[in-house]
Amino acid sequence: MIEFKDVSKSFKNVDAVKGVTCEIRDREIFGLLGPNGAGKTTLIMTMATVYNPTKGEVVVDGHRAGTEPDKVKSLIGISFQDPKYDRILSAREILEWHAKVTGVEKGVRETRIDEVLSKFGLTGEAKKRTWMLSGGTKKKIENAKVFVQRPKIAVFDEPTAYLDVPSRLMVWDMIDELRDEGSTVVLATNMMDEADRMSDRVGIMSRGEMVQVGEPGRLKGSLRGRDVIELKLEAPVPELVGEVTKAEEVEEARFEGDVLKIVLSNGRGLLPLILNVVTAKGGKVQTANLKEPSLEDVFLFYTGMKLT
Amino acid sequence: MSSKPSPLFVLWVLIERDLRTLLKSPWILINRTAFFLIQLFVFAVLVNKLATSLGFNYFDFYSVGAVVSTITSIAFIIGEDLFEEEELGLLDYLLSLPFGHSLFVIGRALGGAVRGLIYVTPMMILVAYLDGYFSPVGIVGSLLVIFVLATGISGLSITLAMLIRNANRFDITIALAELATVRVSAAIYPLVYMPKVLQPVASYSPVTSASDIVRAIFLPGYSSAPYETLILILFLVVFFGLGSAFLFRKIEGGRFE
Repeated sequence: MIEFKDVSKSFKNVDAVKGVTCEIRDREIFGLLGPNGAGKTTLIMTMATVYNPTKGEVVVDGHRAGTEPDKVKSLIGISFQDPKYDRILSAREILEWHAKVTGVEKGVRETRIDEVLSKFGLTGEAKKRTWMLSGGTKKKIENAKVFVQRPKIAVFDEPTAYLDVPSRLMVWDMIDELRDEGSTVVLATNMMDEADRMSDRVGIMSRGEMVQVGEPGRLKGSLRGRDVIELKLEAPVPELVGEVTKAEEVEEARFEGDVLKIVLSNGRGLLPLILNVVTAKGGKVQTANLKEPSLEDVFLFYTGMKLT
Repeated sequence: MSSKPSPLFVLWVLIERDLRTLLKSPWILINRTAFFLIQLFVFAVLVNKLATSLGFNYFDFYSVGAVVSTITSIAFIIGEDLFEEEELGLLDYLLSLPFGHSLFVIGRALGGAVRGLIYVTPMMILVAYLDGYFSPVGIVGSLLVIFVLATGISGLSITLAMLIRNANRFDITIALAELATVRVSAAIYPLVYMPKVLQPVASYSPVTSASDIVRAIFLPGYSSAPYETLILILFLVVFFGLGSAFLFRKIEGGRFE
């Protein structure tokens, strides 16, 4: 388990992280969600003992980051947002060195490297100097470091930035596999679909603060009155507005042209009832659309700003 | 899952990284090797012809100094590497790896010296051969002397890298420091021919000490004073200590604070 206890980190006059308290459970994928500059990377760096917190402490697997940094670091592997390795070296050399220095046993080193390079489709480029490669390939190599290491705590900072869709899906699968093998995964991202698809729980960061932590489904469910049902009718039936708003769960109903727009809680449960009412009042439904809150809405609700 | 590697293994892996990156920069190596060979076989041979009339074998004198100058120049690269690593954010990665900061500091200082030593060993053997010196023990001893010098120079270079933040200022300072340590010494020319004002400085230079000690090993008629060994050791202790302390302080204190 990773525990952040009232962690703050300031750089000169900038408070990058402000009093963060939260726990990351063993073997979960924890999505750290926030825009650039929210403090995600700084929080990760304090966990990895690269930065000393200005206040508070981080405890990783029972080891205090401040007093037992070596023990903490031996548990963690980080894939940085911007690739961090010697660009004069080739992908294979980078991975060999990383595997060696992080204690991957000699017997399995080469097999793992070959396996990861092959999964990323990098076997043919494994001997090229990495400064010659594209941004996406460089990012794959950065991720590959952690997949070769297979640490107890794997940290990915924007792991799919610069990647095309197939590569992105593959990285997601590989992260899932890593968790299935027993790793705890911290996934810092500003991509909602990534956080929603991957995370068991998410922590929403804004301006250095952790404003909310929870399961994506629960967080979305907590936004009562945020479901929207849109019914496209053959022709508007004005009296329907009054009829549907009689239901306690309905916050608002209005016609936009021939579309009846209903803002409510529990849209999924009420949809059949509403359809019955509309039909009974002579409305002819052409299409029905139910929109539930997304993580984007959750983010907007808790931070007051859009992520993308 | 992975296991925590031993400190000795980590030290080796850190040094290995420095070796790998140096060997991946063939132009630096080719440039310095070409410089060494041209200086030795063109410059030193020509000057030797002039100096012979004075009864002085400049070729033998210079050959040792050329090796000492080369290792000095290579040992300075470590500071440039560290400076670049911090600029590129690579230091964050290195510091997140499972070893202590003190081990990292020692590894970097030694890495700078070891790669210099590996690089100049063939040159040293060539020079020993040209000077007609064939004792393996003496050659190993001379390598030890220049290793001590290179470790001190690495420390000096790291110290400068930690003290200067501006890239241009750093480049200029490193170039001047390299120029001063090599030129204000008895590596390339005898002290007696230097401007009077520089002679006292040059006579206490660690580069002079290393050059004199190796000459005393290789060449008949040369000797080194005991204080020169002391200077070399003091230089090592002071700058290895300073470089380590500055790097350690920067890392521990939070580099961006």
